[in-house]
Amino acid sequence: MTVSMPSSVDETLRLLSDDPAATILAGGTDAMVEINYEHRRPASVVSLRRVNELATWSIDGGTVRLGATVPYVEIMNSELAAASPGLAQASRTVGSSQIRNTGTVGGNLATGSPAGDTIPVLAALDAIVEIASVRGIREVAVVDLIVGVKRTVLEPDELIVAIRFPVASGPQEFLKIGPRNAMVISVASCALVINQAERSVACALGSVSPAPLRCGDAEEFAAANIDWTSDGIRITDPRTLETFGSMVADAASPIDDHRSTAAYRKHGIAVMARRALTRATTS
Amino acid sequence: MSAKIEVSFQLNGKQRELQVLPSANLRDVLRGEGMFSVKFGSASGETGAAAVLFDGKLASSDVILAAQADGHSITTVESLNTERELHPIQAAFAAVGALQSGYSAGAMVLGTMALLEQTSDPSESEIRDMLGGILDRETAYVKPVEAVKRAAAVLRGETVTGFEPMILTPLTDGKNAAIYDAKNKPPPGSGAVPRLIPSRDVPEMAVVGKPEVKVDAVRLAKGNPAFTDDIEPRAMLYCRLLTSPHAHANIVDIDDTAALALEGVHAVLHHKNVARIKYASGGQSWPNPHPHDQVSFDTKVRHVGDRVAAVAADTIEIAEEAVRLIKVEYEVLPAVFDEREAMLPGAPKIHDEVDTEEIFDADKNIVHEIKAQRGDVEKALASAPHVFEQTFRVHQVQQCPIEPHISIAWIDEDERMVIRTATQVPFHARRMVAPLLEMDIKDIRIIKPRIGGGFGAKQEMLLEDIVGHLAKATRRPCRLELTREEEFASSRTRHPQTITYRTGVDDDGKLVAQDMYVIGNTGPYGTHGYTVQTVSGMRGLSQYNCPNKRFHCDVVYTNIPVPGAYRGYGAPQAEFALEAHLEDIAIELGYDVIEFKRKNWVTAGSVIDIAPHLGERAVVDGELDEYPIVMTEGIEECVAQAMREIGWHRRDDAAWREPADRPHIRRGLGFAFCMHGTAIPFLDMGGCSIKLNDDGSFNMLVGATDLGTGADTVLGQIAAEVLGVRLEDIKVYSSDTDMTPFDTGAYASSTTYISGTAAMRAAEVARTRIKERAAMLLDVEQPCTIELRDRRAYAPDGSSVSMEDIALDSLHTQEQEQIMGTASYVSPDCPPPFAAQLVEVEVDIETGQVTVPKMVMAVDCGVAINPITASGQVEGGMLQALGYAHCEEFAYDDAGKMLNTSFGPYKIYRADEMPETVVYLVQTMEDSGPFGAKAVAEIPKDGVAPALRNAILNATGAAINDLPFTPERVWAALNDK
Ligand SMILES: Cc1cc2nc3c(=O)[nH]c(=O)nc-3n(C[C@H](O)[C@H](O)[C@H](O)COP(=O)(O)OP(=O)(O)OC[C@H]3O[C@@H](n4cnc5c(N)ncnc54)[C@H](O)[C@@H]3O)c2cc1C
Ligand code: FES
Repeated sequence: MTVSMPSSVDETLRLLSDDPAATILAGGTDAMVEINYEHRRPASVVSLRRVNELATWSIDGGTVRLGATVPYVEIMNSELAAASPGLAQASRTVGSSQIRNTGTVGGNLATGSPAGDTIPVLAALDAIVEIASVRGIREVAVVDLIVGVKRTVLEPDELIVAIRFPVASGPQEFLKIGPRNAMVISVASCALVINQAERSVACALGSVSPAPLRCGDAEEFAAANIDWTSDGIRITDPRTLETFGSMVADAASPIDDHRSTAAYRKHGIAVMARRALTRATTS
Repeated sequence: MSAKIEVSFQLNGKQRELQVLPSANLRDVLRGEGMFSVKFGSASGETGAAAVLFDGKLASSDVILAAQADGHSITTVESLNTERELHPIQAAFAAVGALQSGYSAGAMVLGTMALLEQTSDPSESEIRDMLGGILDRETAYVKPVEAVKRAAAVLRGETVTGFEPMILTPLTDGKNAAIYDAKNKPPPGSGAVPRLIPSRDVPEMAVVGKPEVKVDAVRLAKGNPAFTDDIEPRAMLYCRLLTSPHAHANIVDIDDTAALALEGVHAVLHHKNVARIKYASGGQSWPNPHPHDQVSFDTKVRHVGDRVAAVAADTIEIAEEAVRLIKVEYEVLPAVFDEREAMLPGAPKIHDEVDTEEIFDADKNIVHEIKAQRGDVEKALASAPHVFEQTFRVHQVQQCPIEPHISIAWIDEDERMVIRTATQVPFHARRMVAPLLEMDIKDIRIIKPRIGGGFGAKQEMLLEDIVGHLAKATRRPCRLELTREEEFASSRTRHPQTITYRTGVDDDGKLVAQDMYVIGNTGPYGTHGYTVQTVSGMRGLSQYNCPNKRFHCDVVYTNIPVPGAYRGYGAPQAEFALEAHLEDIAIELGYDVIEFKRKNWVTAGSVIDIAPHLGERAVVDGELDEYPIVMTEGIEECVAQAMREIGWHRRDDAAWREPADRPHIRRGLGFAFCMHGTAIPFLDMGGCSIKLNDDGSFNMLVGATDLGTGADTVLGQIAAEVLGVRLEDIKVYSSDTDMTPFDTGAYASSTTYISGTAAMRAAEVARTRIKERAAMLLDVEQPCTIELRDRRAYAPDGSSVSMEDIALDSLHTQEQEQIMGTASYVSPDCPPPFAAQLVEVEVDIETGQVTVPKMVMAVDCGVAINPITASGQVEGGMLQALGYAHCEEFAYDDAGKMLNTSFGPYKIYRADEMPETVVYLVQTMEDSGPFGAKAVAEIPKDGVAPALRNAILNATGAAINDLPFTPERVWAALNDK
């Protein structure tokens, strides 16, 4: 095995182009587990630790541009937390402080696990992923990036450079359920993003489908029933919250597995979605 | 093998250039450089045992490629060890008793360093967040959190006082129930501080009962090489197991040609080349209970994870490659996993071999049938006015020591086999491994270094035979360490059971009959199967008075990973069922739950009548003229203190139970009464020898096995008390079969009581001689008038001579002799500790999610020799018990393969999830124990599950009879209430 430590994006892309079979290593918190277990035995590794430009972020007008290797701890503890409270909430629930110090959003997306915590939030944010290769840059929406359990549309020589999404304009919520207060892998998770400026609602689910799931009908229903005022949003009829919950649950088609039955997952999603909307409309 | 590459980084402030394998992770490289504080917990970064500071930030070195460290700075605990003295952070961990096994101490100290770098006054949640990724199975994070706060205070320049228990006045007269007064508030203060309620019967002592710092604290805080894996003999080979992918299969053929042909492979062992010698792996006294249904490598596999072959090679990578190259042809057989189904006609026969004796009914997979009875249960049930029947199911969990099983064996210069191994039972392991290796016991030496937790998983002869065989085959040192996955699937677990109680109650609320039927699931092998279920019977039928009792148990074979010993043995299972069952009876009959249990629980003077009829030394009815009775108990004091601490009156406070601002939350409180044993009478034995050195210090050799429990410290305190010296004057060396006296080992809550009495007696023997020599020096007629204290011997007239002078005189001056004492102890008694366990719960009635904000245990463990280590035992026990009750569970696919073999999906409690815990130590003076001690190690495992279950019932009205209380199970119970 060889290890390359490029220090720029261009150098990284050239390395990947010369050796598309190389494994990219960002924080390494997913990839190293596979290497240690020998589930993956790469002949070559390209480490991103020295590519400083990937570890930067910026807020420009209404848009956040998050470099692929910005670690979770940075998202939680910088101005990013205010610009994207939902992503900050999701970041706080990841693993443990060691993992949050090293793990990255780019790695979370590229792994594409149904349980990846940032994925539902980014899906609800309509985030755009900037993907680079020697051939140039292309942009893909998060919902289109992940196509199955740990399957993405990334070509072997492609690199996630950054993720772009709008600065929060309204409440954002991220909820999980599982056996403990905090947990590594949840039975189901739910992200809600309300855009006050555009008067829109977005809701995405995690852990319940191979690829991230948006709940279009429920979103439209909520947007139509929210009382949009200039000093905040309200829902006057409590039945709206219930209906929203069950519509979100209907959008999911969860499965039975050793962690949970489909019936419980469905119920849990309805409760979480209702709570998310309740919180968002009462604070 | 790829060529090595060069990495250059700062290691603890010094620039280092190292040649590393490109695929090497940073942990392995750092350990190779002598940074032994960086430990192995798993390959996936979840235990935090391998945490280091990477550019000043806490990171898991096991998920960092060593090559990625290039150009960065890495810090380990060794950076603090520039002097003999501890760094203030290390000192804080030592001072508050935060180091039990100390396996993850390095990680915690580093995390504290990084945190205090950011903030000098971290909040509780910041501390817990930092510790959240460092798993610990022993302290429940209570003392570590306290240590971080203390370290912060010290580094801010504040002065801190000694860490001492909070002394409280009793609420009872020691006998009768207290009248509960809601206005009487519990004392404020950190839950990390044990509350101690002294007994007037306990005399004032100098060392015993004092919060002494553990004798191994320094080496643990420094991360010094103290554990099995921290010493590598030269030319050591690395070993790996090939385990079964099938739950039940015959091995038709094994072909090791390709594996042996691989360069760097030194041996491949399996059933074709290792002698078939039968044994039972449970680390128990001779003769090991039958059946002896195991062999080192069998022609059949009986669970996913069962041994098939073992490889020794130059590196782990080569060994792993060789394992993949072994070709095995299996004939897959039908398998059975549920103990109820295993007994049915048509179930696959798991032990069809001809050479296993004493299986009760192999065709039905019944290993043992256990029966015991007092009185006439059927008759009493027939005439009882109220009869209740309930069935409970308890599940499979694992001990989860953060240090997995590891053994290193080599043949020494005298052709003897030396095995350095993480074991709780070095002496049993020596005796049991000898026949398998076809060697004499005298030619085997077992060394037990520091152990990173055992909890029963290491009360086994688990890897010692394999490394022994490999060392014999290769004549090279051989090291085998289980991976985390193997630790789950190929070591030991807790026995699942189906428990049915039938109980008759009279119109006064007194029990008239208790019938307990248990189906115990012993998995594919009988190890501990007989004794664990026996303890279930003892614990399930001892703590309430009842004239008619019956225990019936079928212990059955199945194809799940092997159950064995787990702290608490069969008690947590039985006490869950018992305390739930009696709770429901109380409610059904309209009694207050505690009042009903109080009507029936044993008190001082009660007869313990079922125990003598169960176990390895069971007597038949009529053979016994005298039954053991309860001599000491502080039950009412425990109950009163625990009720006050939790605020028991809140059970009746509607506004608290249904908080208006959180409509989906229901709160409740639950109680469980607990009783345990202290050692196995007439069986558990410990030995100790002690000798006086030139400077008035003593070397103490004990067979007892300190697993992080503090045994070495407690035994040292006992000897120091007898000899009138300080704890630091006693140098304790434990469990090395060549050096120390025999001990049955660390199990059955026996160490303080049994080995402690041996230590006391050995010290007394030495003391007698010291007094005689002192009398000589002081010109005193009667040696018995001499008193030893403050490292001096005092005559009645006040004249004195120092211990050092006595030592110099006896070793060098006149009538020279080595003053030493040797003693051993086996007890006829088994004085029970008692406890009240209270749990507060919040149930989310929409999702079924259970949150435990607080747990209180008040325990009567006699005299706690060291209140800090004793409270640490209780805290850690409650953490494991809470995991058992709430979230730990083996999940399988249909073919019996465990699906959650890592700490992500297999959930153990973390620092940032732990409830507040408060521990009360209620003193009683148990005359049979050393300085009044009874056991404390296992009782904290008994009450959490039933108390949580009863709290959920109190909160929601849902009675749940299956463990654990996952959201979905609770939700389902709420729905069909
Ligand atoms: C103990 C532990 C706990 C965890 N808990 C959680 C949790 O609670 N929630 C959660 O969501 N995850 C969790 N994870 C998984 C992991 O930490 C996250 O998915 C993390 O975001 C991965 O980021 P990374 O930078 O470490 O990825 P890496 O391991 O470096 O990479 C992951 C994958 O993505 C590829 N990759 C990385 N960066 C790029 C890029 N820029 N372009 C293209 N491909 C790339 C790699 O080749 C690899 O296949 C946990 C992991 C561990 C070890
Ligand atoms: S020593 Fe002889 S009586 Fe005291």
